[in-house]
Amino acid sequence: MVDDATATYIVDNQRCFEDLKQVASQLAGLLVLAAAGSKEASPHHPALLRARELYREAMDEMHRGRPTERARKHHEHVAKAAAMIGAALRQTEGAFDLDRILIPLRAGYAELERAADALPGFEMVSYERACCGQRLGQSK
Amino acid sequence: MTAYSLWVMEFAAVPNYPQSGLIYGMHNQGTRKLPYCYIVIKGQGHLAMVDVGYNHKAHGEVLANTYGVRGWHPPREVLGEIGITPEDIGTVFITHAHFDHMGNIEDFPNATFYLQERELSKWVWTMSLPRRFRWLMLGIDPADILRAVDLARQGRLVCVDGDRENVLPGVDLHAAFDTHTWGSMYVTVRNDLATNSESSWVFCGDLAYTQENLRGHDPKDPEYIPIGFAMGSQFNLIMKTEEMVKSVGGDITHVVPPHEERLKDLFPSRITKAGLRITELALADGEKSQVH
Repeated sequence: MVDDATATYIVDNQRCFEDLKQVASQLAGLLVLAAAGSKEASPHHPALLRARELYREAMDEMHRGRPTERARKHHEHVAKAAAMIGAALRQTEGAFDLDRILIPLRAGYAELERAADALPGFEMVSYERACCGQRLGQSK
Repeated sequence: MTAYSLWVMEFAAVPNYPQSGLIYGMHNQGTRKLPYCYIVIKGQGHLAMVDVGYNHKAHGEVLANTYGVRGWHPPREVLGEIGITPEDIGTVFITHAHFDHMGNIEDFPNATFYLQERELSKWVWTMSLPRRFRWLMLGIDPADILRAVDLARQGRLVCVDGDRENVLPGVDLHAAFDTHTWGSMYVTVRNDLATNSESSWVFCGDLAYTQENLRGHDPKDPEYIPIGFAMGSQFNLIMKTEEMVKSVGGDITHVVPPHEERLKDLFPSRITKAGLRITELALADGEKSQVH
């Protein structure tokens, strides 16, 4: 259970969390294409342009967040994730050096996982409507 | 001759899964058990798998508590039932990139993974779309993509572009683009190793969930009914079903949906102490049964 103020924080901050996760996913996707030798991977891939735009939006959202005491840990992890993912993103501006992108990206992703664990309402994978299971209580 | 032993290994299950998710149009028709399984292919000096399941550490709690997935067991325990370890697996064919098929790659440190390049590149493209398209991302775990980077750098990720024959002797990969996912594929085992095999098996991933997808509701008057979930189109699913069924000479029992509970009615099987089912589809020459 969370108090009303924390519930409001959760609703207000889901977008930031989702956006950072999306940026991390976009970067990871490009890295795997690059590592697999795909011709599609390049610093000019539309996913990368979108990631930079989304990251800016996520930072704006994060700075607007006003965490309650209950949400403080979550917010700290999101802030660390944002810093790490931002560092990974900056590394894509030059040559595509996988290590220099991957190390902060992995650290940022781990911080997002910790943020998801710290407060309900933040999921790393969208299971909703996925083919693997049906949300309990809807299947009867 | 029988070149490969083939087992379907259950590693978890949803006891009550809505039929509408499995068979297109079956709304308000109740539920059935949906096992989660991977396939083991053993023979010709090779140990291979079709899909690897999901990582319980990452997904287990949410899936168990919110989505009713029960009884997950790790590959070491599941594979141990037939006397092999995850380290023995040399080849893995990933039918598609959903987390419950690709989510446990780190448990197979010696395997080379085969995946359609389109499955990756289209997910990346999807990620570049605005937020309102996020439905297209469902089932994908970004952590799996990060792990795939490591695989690629270790030279253990093979991105396949379309069909590929004899990846292992008698084992072929077939693209099924724009069906369940952008770059799904199915695996054919020609178990007599003949080019025009009379003993073919198809491991279809999520291109079919049940026998009804392959033969409709009336086996005497068969029809193809697609699964309840297609990222691509139902038309493509139906046409690929025709292709799969033709490749096994029309014997739909040789098209193996890993989520089909009723495989037990067609093939010998046993339940392990952990309550998981092992179904034995074929035994290579000289191989001992693991279910008797």
